[in-house]
Amino acid sequence: MNWEKMVTKLLNTVIGIFYIFLWTPLIIVIVFSFSTHKYGSKWEGFTTKWYGKLIANEAVQDALIRSLIIAVITMIAATIIGTITAYGLYKFQFKGKPFLRTSILLPLVFPSVITGAALLVFFTRILHIPLGYPSIIIAHIVFCSPLAVFIILGRMQRMDWTLEEASMDLGATRFKTFKRVTLPVLLPGIMASAMLIFPWSFDDFVITYFVAGVGSTTLPIYVYSQLRFGTSPILNTIATLFVVVTIIGFFASHFFQKLDIRK
Amino acid sequence: MMSTPKTCMEIKNITKRFQGVVAVNDVSLEIKEGEIFSFLGPSGCGKTTLLRLVAGLEIIDQGDILIHEEIVNNLPPYKRDCSTVFQQLALFPHMKVFDNIAYGLVERKVSKDEIKERVFEKIELVNLSGLEDRYPHQLSGGQKQRVALARSLVLEPAILLLDEPLAALDRKLRKEMQVELKRIQREVGTTFLNVTHDQKEALSLSDRIAIMSAGKLIQIGTPTEIYEKPKTRFVASFMGASNIFHGKAISQKGEMFELKMEGGGTIYVPAPEDSEMNDISGFTIHPEMIEITPDLTGIESNDPLEETVFLGTVKEVFYQGDYSELSITLDNSDMVISTFLTRKEMLDSVVENQKVAVSWKSSFSNAFSD
Repeated sequence: MNWEKMVTKLLNTVIGIFYIFLWTPLIIVIVFSFSTHKYGSKWEGFTTKWYGKLIANEAVQDALIRSLIIAVITMIAATIIGTITAYGLYKFQFKGKPFLRTSILLPLVFPSVITGAALLVFFTRILHIPLGYPSIIIAHIVFCSPLAVFIILGRMQRMDWTLEEASMDLGATRFKTFKRVTLPVLLPGIMASAMLIFPWSFDDFVITYFVAGVGSTTLPIYVYSQLRFGTSPILNTIATLFVVVTIIGFFASHFFQKLDIRK
Repeated sequence: MMSTPKTCMEIKNITKRFQGVVAVNDVSLEIKEGEIFSFLGPSGCGKTTLLRLVAGLEIIDQGDILIHEEIVNNLPPYKRDCSTVFQQLALFPHMKVFDNIAYGLVERKVSKDEIKERVFEKIELVNLSGLEDRYPHQLSGGQKQRVALARSLVLEPAILLLDEPLAALDRKLRKEMQVELKRIQREVGTTFLNVTHDQKEALSLSDRIAIMSAGKLIQIGTPTEIYEKPKTRFVASFMGASNIFHGKAISQKGEMFELKMEGGGTIYVPAPEDSEMNDISGFTIHPEMIEITPDLTGIESNDPLEETVFLGTVKEVFYQGDYSELSITLDNSDMVISTFLTRKEMLDSVVENQKVAVSWKSSFSNAFSD
């Protein structure tokens, strides 16, 4: 057999196995969320009753609403902060700029356990910020903004900055130019960031667990707290929810990035 | 009776440095109302920087810029009465053609009806009727060019600045747009300030040209003056002259200087205005003004003040189809003359190694200084 053909076949098999390992657990969980089995660990028959139970469960409702509120606020705040940061990093020259630019990535690169623990100490010992919504939201903004900076900086590299010069040449001030030209042109990048930040915040467990304090249960924290009771079909439904939210966010972000390039 | 045209814009002793490098070096000039004025020069000569200084996109280090006699040195671009057509065109991708052109008018809070009227008037002027609802990515290069032009013209600026507007177009389109630009300018009467590195474009488009090199202004004049009477070796060479010879002026007879050539021999050239004998460093003669005669009889008796004649041998013939380039070595000299003959003139009667007489009217040559 041809040596090249063999290597190609081998690589294809490896990739195939990779994707199987990636998707099978998720598919199983989604499928079992529709199973009538009592513990949600086997397939017995089709039902949507677990979803009904999910909606009726008050603890879940509470955690879901809290996660949603945090994710929406984080999405808006982190996108705005990220956009302004990217603008400053791109346009202005100042001392230590390369260092600042690289350090933006730190929250993404550090192990979340370390970031979570550090933020907890920072909130309780140094800033005295109440644990709960304030601490969670601030923490989420901290590790989500770099995402926005990254995506928007990338978009800025590809942008035609003579557009700003043309706008000012035609009579618009810097502020008007930002409003009428720069922002609309950057909008796909900004939307792409927002679509990615929402699931990023919604799905987060480790950092949130550290800074949530008592009584502020987000959905991921709720799931963790239920695990000691063993598997349950409700966990499958929640997991499905996470998967669906994340996939929608990812594809929406991809759609906005594609929108960009076409222009 | 012809009145002298007003001054539209004046530049006085402008200097601009970027990190220690002088980009524009003490440049002064005046642009008249309604003319097409071009800055011409090689890459890096400072012409684009000068344009940007006028537009307000860069700030001058020294000197003054006056538009309609108003000093604009410290005014930001949105306060100056000029408008720029950028090399990259910079059309707003998220706006239709109509909105692109209307941009400046919207900024000035002009009424909707007036905007409509003025925008459509300009759309017609640049031949874009029917395309007002398209987006920039749906337009051809030439069409985008016209949108950029209309966008700036609709504001009726005192002076329109064009930064190598035709550089990105292919040759055929460039020629078409040159004609268009001139027609549009004559129709609206706005003063045009054009930056280009293309000599032919500058010659065909401009009323006056300023040649720049390394930040300095070398010569200003009409296209005829620049091409036929280059003041320095640089200008002659930049405008494409191929017969550039060095020498020193040794005497003056009437309006002619006698030049002793480096390669050997002496010739007479017209004395340029405002030039001393000591300034002269050489001369040029354009190939198209040279006559070639294979017949060597009767050429001995000529008055060198009227006609310059040399004997030489055809070194090489370069066939180009519609014409042939000839390279001729002169007898008793190092000089090599370049000229060409059209296909009609050639008729196979001039070949390599043939002895020919090379002649031109002495008043056709041009002396330069360095």
